[in-house]
Amino acid sequence: MIRTSRGRRRLGVVVGALAGSALALAGCSAPVASGPEQITFSYLWGGAEAEAIEAIIADFNASQDEVEVTGISSPDFQKQLTSLSASQGSFDISDHFGNAVGSWASKGILAPLDELLAANGVDPAGFAPASIEQLSYDGQIYSLPIAVHTFQLLYNKTLLAEAGVEVPTTIEELETAIAALTKVEADGTITQLGLGDPSPSTTITTLGYAFGGDWDADGAPSPTDAGNVQALQWYYDNLVAPVGADQLAAFKSGLGEYMSPEDPFYTGKYAMVIDGEWRAVNIPSTAPDLDWGVTSIPYVSTALADTTQLTVSTLFIPANSAHKEAAAKFLAYLVSDEGATAFSLALGNLPAKLSLVGSPAYDDIPEFSVWLDALAGDNVHALSSAPYSAEYSTDLGLAFDEVLTGASTPEAALQKVADNSSNYATE
Amino acid sequence: MALADSIVRRRRGPRWLRGWRIVPVALLALVFVFPFLVMLSTAFKETGDIFSAPPTLLPTTWTFGNFAEAFEDIPFWRYLANTLFVSGLSVLGTVLSCPLVAYALAKIRWRGARPLLIIVLLTMMMPPQVTLIPVFLIWNGLGAVGSFLPLIVPAFLGTPFLIFMIRQFLLSVPNELIEAARIDGASEFRTYWSIVLPIARPAIVTAAVFQFVWSWTDFLNPLIYLGNPDQYTLSIGLYSFFGENDVAWGPLMAACVLFTLPALVIFLIGQRFFIGGISAGALK
Amino acid sequence: MRGITVRRRQALTGLAFAAPFLVGFSVFIAYPVAASGFYSFTDFNLFQPPEFVGLDNYARMADDERFWIALTNTLLLTVTGVPLSIIIAIAGAHLLNLPVRGQPLFRALVYLPSIVPIVVGGYLWRWLLNTEYGFINYFLGLVGIDGPGWLVEPEWTKPAIVLMSLWTVGGTMIIYLAALKEVPRELYEAAALDGANWWTKFRHITWPTLSPVTLFQVIVNVIAYLQIFTQPYLLAQTRLNDAGAGPGQSMLTYAMYLFQNAFSFLKMGYASAMAWVLFLITLAITIVILVSSRRWVHDGSR
Repeated sequence: MIRTSRGRRRLGVVVGALAGSALALAGCSAPVASGPEQITFSYLWGGAEAEAIEAIIADFNASQDEVEVTGISSPDFQKQLTSLSASQGSFDISDHFGNAVGSWASKGILAPLDELLAANGVDPAGFAPASIEQLSYDGQIYSLPIAVHTFQLLYNKTLLAEAGVEVPTTIEELETAIAALTKVEADGTITQLGLGDPSPSTTITTLGYAFGGDWDADGAPSPTDAGNVQALQWYYDNLVAPVGADQLAAFKSGLGEYMSPEDPFYTGKYAMVIDGEWRAVNIPSTAPDLDWGVTSIPYVSTALADTTQLTVSTLFIPANSAHKEAAAKFLAYLVSDEGATAFSLALGNLPAKLSLVGSPAYDDIPEFSVWLDALAGDNVHALSSAPYSAEYSTDLGLAFDEVLTGASTPEAALQKVADNSSNYATE
Repeated sequence: MALADSIVRRRRGPRWLRGWRIVPVALLALVFVFPFLVMLSTAFKETGDIFSAPPTLLPTTWTFGNFAEAFEDIPFWRYLANTLFVSGLSVLGTVLSCPLVAYALAKIRWRGARPLLIIVLLTMMMPPQVTLIPVFLIWNGLGAVGSFLPLIVPAFLGTPFLIFMIRQFLLSVPNELIEAARIDGASEFRTYWSIVLPIARPAIVTAAVFQFVWSWTDFLNPLIYLGNPDQYTLSIGLYSFFGENDVAWGPLMAACVLFTLPALVIFLIGQRFFIGGISAGALK
Repeated sequence: MRGITVRRRQALTGLAFAAPFLVGFSVFIAYPVAASGFYSFTDFNLFQPPEFVGLDNYARMADDERFWIALTNTLLLTVTGVPLSIIIAIAGAHLLNLPVRGQPLFRALVYLPSIVPIVVGGYLWRWLLNTEYGFINYFLGLVGIDGPGWLVEPEWTKPAIVLMSLWTVGGTMIIYLAALKEVPRELYEAAALDGANWWTKFRHITWPTLSPVTLFQVIVNVIAYLQIFTQPYLLAQTRLNDAGAGPGQSMLTYAMYLFQNAFSFLKMGYASAMAWVLFLITLAITIVILVSSRRWVHDGSR
């Protein structure tokens, strides 16, 4: 028997006397007549991250007496959606991801923030522009970035030295480095990959930008943009074709868990990876012996130097909150320099604020500045958060999978995405 | 009973052969329990020791640190009490409601039996994803979101799977027993209570165990319906070991071992009832 | 006259006994199911009023490549998973019914996987199935078999899902164990005196008692496999929180695609239509099973 049957226990209510008398309706907190306004902060983080967030909440509660925040760790977004679907929600502020903002805003479930931010003295110009762009819909801001991520090229210094490879700065140098760092046995078995792909989707979309492509030209899906096709072709030519799709699959089936001590980058099975800033926090604790470095993603032309992709974790106030003003006060605190520093340090993510670029607060994290400084660059891109985004990124992921397994060519696979985009949700 | 057993046993081959029967049984159990053994050993491993190629079962150094961390990270006893409360009342509800409905389906001759059986079956066929939100909105309308009610009340109204299961068991109960009670002038409820319930005990205990384990391991419903962390159940607590990008394997496995043990004990207690041969005596 | 009264009284008794479920059904099932039926004819994103679109959602399925992939995958899992579950459960129940020392413990151990939270179980299996760090290929290697890349080779992902699902077959086995208790033991003794072999005994003594339970198990397992979600969902993740569909979408099941439409794409109208189609497919298969069951199920009350 499969245990999906538990999902089926959804009958029934009220054998009134029997159940009602036996149960205390705990948790229905009555509104407090006086004293600070009570709001609930429901966040998706758990574990050590949740503890750090609770500490920040405690700091906020101690800093003023108008608003009192209760934090709830609620690690599943279905809870958010159910609460958001009710006329009055169970939380007043929560976190989500930047790529959903347009979709949610268009459905009226996010509170517009422009006025609330102005009232609390928060200036949107202080955040990385690509992030604010992703978090806006129809000229209004609907979420604020609490943590952002950029992607850079990490490399294993030991392996590069062994192979006599310099740290690549151009795409041609990267090609040479990949070839020199990929080791294949006589029977075709791969023992080491020049460039690994912890998340092919993120790596390829980032490379698309690096090749001058754009995934959402003119506010619509543009998968067949020349740069995108080039990037996917490059990826196939340099990472798949030389070793063969089957051998690549066999190699991947034996890789260790991501960010565990057996992570392929930590064990030397990947010589290089394109990944986010959380690595800088993870490596010292998980792979302390790894001799590693990080550099900008090699450029195709100097005009495209320092290209990276920005992904965003957001804070939002739901439209069904009864305490929007109080929630906005807390939001303003979380994105203040003080709050954002504490938050980003707790999560090991980048703060979204330009004023914190170069901040000494991050000096203890090795190489963090490579990711952090990128925020201020000109070639920082974020995928659109339009209503179609979820379907679009799913389709892109499938197209990449087809190309990487040799089932389709870049042009054909991306053209299929373009053809299918007419079915996407428009609102 | 004991005499009958010994007679049966004597007929099943020589003694040395009987001793060997434990081998396939133990092998079967080993296959099923093996992943759990991996979990158990991981709970005692240090972080750097968890994965290796080739894999190893025994820790190189034993540590209790993961258990300490598990207790530190979640208010274990509080969550345990909540989980027991929810699971216990759900089991009570199941035991009271499901056999009643099953009896109406299997042993009462009325025109509604057939349609009702079909409804019970149909209810199981609807994928839960699409009814999640409408059901939530009903509870929300009743003002019960944020309380334990949405997790407990459904059990008192009967679970289709368990109703259907008990009904199938009741089918094999000879009608003569029930007819005899009816002819003796017993009321329908009395017949149900004093004749059918005792016979159906293995099925009912099985249902109770299932209900207990579902409530025990349920994650989505507690998460959606419980309002504040003081009400959280253990299954939600387990999620605090999953980070955004990585898993705290050692503490997760330790917490998971602690999580499964109470349910295992309940099972061991419960199985005495459906294994003790009680019903066999009642049937003959 | 008297016949009618008796019948009416029987009906009232039936209603009274069924009352809990009737209340539960009318409050908590009838409305949501009806609502999903209504949504299936609309464009509905969960948050804004649904917009009537007629049969569009149903028509769209015909051209939706992923819909067909998901349906095919699900049916393949069902036709392999259900028979295996039933056979293993019956065989296992027989073993667990053998009078050996420590029998209760063995039973508990077989049921134990069902107590492990399925999400933790999912990660455990991803690890077990890893070709370098996992035990499955390690054991296969010990007997000289070069194990497959379970989660990266499209032709091996479904066996992986079935394997993980079979791990929790203990619940089914327990139901069979309880059913085995109902088999009249003296018949075995009589058969043994007649010199019957194990197959004859199973066919003529055990099976008649197990068959109603088997009908129930087949139906329940078919429903569960047609709705299978968590196992493939977890095994298809390329890493934590990164939902995928497996290589070549070989792990995309119907319920996964339905879930994705409902909660990622917020296309609740389309998801509801998919739910109704799955419902009708389940219903059709169940009717076939029920009709065929007249040939193979021994009903004690008949």
